[in-house]
Amino acid sequence: MVKYIIERILLMLLTLLIITGICFVLVRMLPPAELAPGDIHTEVIEARREAQGYNKPYLVQFGIFLKNVLTRWDFGISDKLYIGQEVSAIFADKLPVTIIVNLYSILFSIPIGIGLGILAAVRKNSLTDHTISTLTMVGISVPSFVYAFLIQYFLSYKLGLLPFLMKSGTDYFSPEMFVSMLPAILSLSLGVIANFTRTTRAELSEVLTSDFMLLARAKGLTRTQAAIRHALKNSMVVVLPAILGNFVAILSGSLIIERIFAIPGVGNLYINSINGRDLPMFMMLTVFYTAVGLIASIVVDISYGFIDPRIRIGSRK
Amino acid sequence: MKRYIALFIILILSANLLVGCGGNDSTDTDSFTYNDYVSTMATNWNPHTYETVSDNYPSEFLRVGFYSLVFNDELHKVEGKAPFEGYKVIPEMAADIPVDVTDRVRDEHPEFNIPASAVSGYAYTIALNPDAKWEDGTPINADTYVYSMKRLLSPELLNYRASDYYSGNFSIAGAEAYAKGENANFSDVGLYKSGEYEITLVLAKALGGFDLVYALTSNFIVYEELYEKCLTKEGNAWFSSYNTSVDTTMSYGPYKLVSYQKDKSMRFERNEEWYGYTDGQHEFIDPISGEKRDMYQTTAIDTQVIAEAATAKMMFLRGELMTYTLQAEDFDSYRNSAFAHETPSETVFFLILNGYADAIASREASAGFDTAKNDLQTMTLLPFRRAIALSYDKELFASTISPARSGALGLIGDSYLYDPENLLRYRDTDAAKRVLCDFYSVPTSEETDLDRAVASITGYDPETARDYYEAAFDEAIAAGYITDSNSDGVSDQTVIIEYCVSSDSDFMTKTVDYLNKKMAEVTAGTPFENRVSFVKSAPYGNDWVNKLKSGLSDTVLGGWSGSVLDPFSLTNLYVDPTYQYDANWFDSSSVSISLDVNVAPLGEAAVMRNVTMTLREWSDALNGQTVTIGGEDYNFGSGISDVATRLSILSAIEGSVLSTYNYIPMLQDASVTLLSKKAYYVIDDYNPVMGRGGIAYLGYNYSDSEWNAYVRENGGELKY
Repeated sequence: MVKYIIERILLMLLTLLIITGICFVLVRMLPPAELAPGDIHTEVIEARREAQGYNKPYLVQFGIFLKNVLTRWDFGISDKLYIGQEVSAIFADKLPVTIIVNLYSILFSIPIGIGLGILAAVRKNSLTDHTISTLTMVGISVPSFVYAFLIQYFLSYKLGLLPFLMKSGTDYFSPEMFVSMLPAILSLSLGVIANFTRTTRAELSEVLTSDFMLLARAKGLTRTQAAIRHALKNSMVVVLPAILGNFVAILSGSLIIERIFAIPGVGNLYINSINGRDLPMFMMLTVFYTAVGLIASIVVDISYGFIDPRIRIGSRK
Repeated sequence: MKRYIALFIILILSANLLVGCGGNDSTDTDSFTYNDYVSTMATNWNPHTYETVSDNYPSEFLRVGFYSLVFNDELHKVEGKAPFEGYKVIPEMAADIPVDVTDRVRDEHPEFNIPASAVSGYAYTIALNPDAKWEDGTPINADTYVYSMKRLLSPELLNYRASDYYSGNFSIAGAEAYAKGENANFSDVGLYKSGEYEITLVLAKALGGFDLVYALTSNFIVYEELYEKCLTKEGNAWFSSYNTSVDTTMSYGPYKLVSYQKDKSMRFERNEEWYGYTDGQHEFIDPISGEKRDMYQTTAIDTQVIAEAATAKMMFLRGELMTYTLQAEDFDSYRNSAFAHETPSETVFFLILNGYADAIASREASAGFDTAKNDLQTMTLLPFRRAIALSYDKELFASTISPARSGALGLIGDSYLYDPENLLRYRDTDAAKRVLCDFYSVPTSEETDLDRAVASITGYDPETARDYYEAAFDEAIAAGYITDSNSDGVSDQTVIIEYCVSSDSDFMTKTVDYLNKKMAEVTAGTPFENRVSFVKSAPYGNDWVNKLKSGLSDTVLGGWSGSVLDPFSLTNLYVDPTYQYDANWFDSSSVSISLDVNVAPLGEAAVMRNVTMTLREWSDALNGQTVTIGGEDYNFGSGISDVATRLSILSAIEGSVLSTYNYIPMLQDASVTLLSKKAYYVIDDYNPVMGRGGIAYLGYNYSDSEWNAYVRENGGELKY
């Protein structure tokens, strides 16, 4: 197991280096953003590009980038979106709010989603199951921004129950802040709940037909007791990675939800950095999200072994 | 245990919810907060490095220019003007108006290269306001200005805004050479200390009167200690974090920044150190109440990012925002609201029409182009282009595709003032009216008919347009661009005009659909019936300009805007290849025009002379450059030549450029905004110089607490 993990980590580092290198070169090959014809700032922009080393050979530029990152953990200074400010500091400033909103959403979604999934599976082919399954399909099909507008219109505008936008400030755990996050949390949660419900129902329905479930019922357990104590754990082999996958998504945020509710998170940072040609910002985000993705895949793989002892990773006979 | 933990979490969340829902109505009874919104929050408002309009947003609150403009009223009298019909210049960071010292500086400082013949317009001393302070109380004196300019122009720092001080009409002597590292001696730059509270400003190009004062309504000073602390070097490039947060911002204006969250919000509150609250200059007679009141009644400005117009509208209707800018779908409901205020903009959008014959011929010769069915070359023929110019009613076009905007007839918009002091508009001059009549083929033989003739112009003249289409057909057949194989008098080919799309949108679709619909109506019964088609290009992204300029795409609604107070500077945009969209098929240096102009210096007896120059030369001379023709020097710049002469040159250039039919004016930019019942403007009609007075003049009908109560009384939803 340890050997397997070490192998995976080394492979991950190599993959990270390759992806970073490819992205770095490709993004540096992009021409600078177009200026209006005759823009009086053209000369100074070109002079700054020269001073920043954009005209050096790509591999030399990549070498400098790697050296700065590895020796000083310096991803550079933003030169378009947040001029003069360190990109890692900006990211660190904006990441917490994204994590918190998404975390609330996941914490809200997991019990409801799994609960509805269990209910649908236990009462398979009943009216309850059909209702839950239909709502689940709606939940999955309708994009979160539709919920966002509906919530804003009814709960904020018509009823005045919730604020339109997230509150300013960094008091993320204050009651006012929590309430101001609710519209965003609800908008994000409906789709996630539907996903968990569908996954749990599908897995649980299958496990419920297993032989060991008959044994459990024969021992005198009720259908619900058997489902929760025995079947649910087995169905977690699929559900848990889905939960982990959602936790990874927490870090990237939702572009559209953050935009609608004015959440100052990282949701639109990636796309803005490429549209605005903020290359230091783009590279920092590339390295971060690639690393997160790779780490998550290792964690998910390893987690299988803990959830289901029958799965033995890396063992060779 | 698990049960207790779950219970605890539920209790915490419920408590949060209950406490959070309670709201917070604790507002000061005397506070007047302006709740504003932006789609993009400023990230860098450093006066030396900011790049975007969004980044300039905090300037109005944090900075003050040497001079500012205030409405005329009983306290700010202007000779011959009724209150609130004009404006007056008042010194702000300056203590008095600039004093022209060209004579003295020319002799004492040869390093500034003031022309030997110059007697005015090149050098000024500016007395500084001794009461001006930073928000921490540190005084602002001549050293502050010299330090700030030195840092602004520093060749090492490569500041984005440096070129603003040497590329335009306001050009400081020696600034360009210093900024580009060609001269390392800052003493050769035309801004130096001539007293503890006095600076001398030396210009590379003469500038005087209103233009000079207007150029000095902005400022460039920075707080030295903080500025130095914020500089960092990475590789060979310097970066500055000055003015990117509360900690790195030091105000010297009416408000100071008290909170800022990136991409979220910023809040400004009164800067009690600002001299303007006590100097007696910043007060006026309110035309609504008739009472004397202080400017800047607003006590705080809360600005937040709202990206979606729908959200902003709902918040406005619940009283949470001060303004809401109408979207196309709102016009039916709010166009006639008493709270709707139109704000014209100086930008004119025109259809740029491809005339690059070589590029068009080469596109036709490419393998994929079917010359039996389609044609491109006909669009280069003058009669065809004239016909297009007469095929669209500009007002109808505007109301159909963009209701906030209005139709445009000329290259220079309705807002531009040639005499800002008296609010006289270029488009109201006879010379400008004649340009329109010529372009739209409206006869103007009788002088008295001029106003009526211009009023009759809509841009839509189907009869004349059809005549031009007939002429274009004959010319195109003769040139072999199109064929008429069955001799039915209808072109065999369809003239394809590619509409250059940067990124597709509803607006693009509506525009192209409208162009095609009206084209079909006008060409009915002509040889081009159903034979002219606008088609959208693939999205070209940022490359759209290059596609147009290189003739690889044929048309788009493009626009230029300039300073509304200086229509003369617009000429460069149409005759300088650096700016021209049509530089590849229109050489302004090869087109000459002759004009009878007054060549005597301003203030002397008129000396009329017929002068012939190229368009480029006329434009240069109009914008303050000395042009030599036949051994004679000509300069028709601001403060050098009389306004009538300058107007005749401007209109001649506009007419000449329009006659190429490379630009067909279509839209004049504008927006319509609803103002909250909480506040009022001191004037209804938009003033081209003063706007509606900005935050300085905004008056309040309700304080914050009164407003909250009013909104509650109305059920939380207001009607406009």
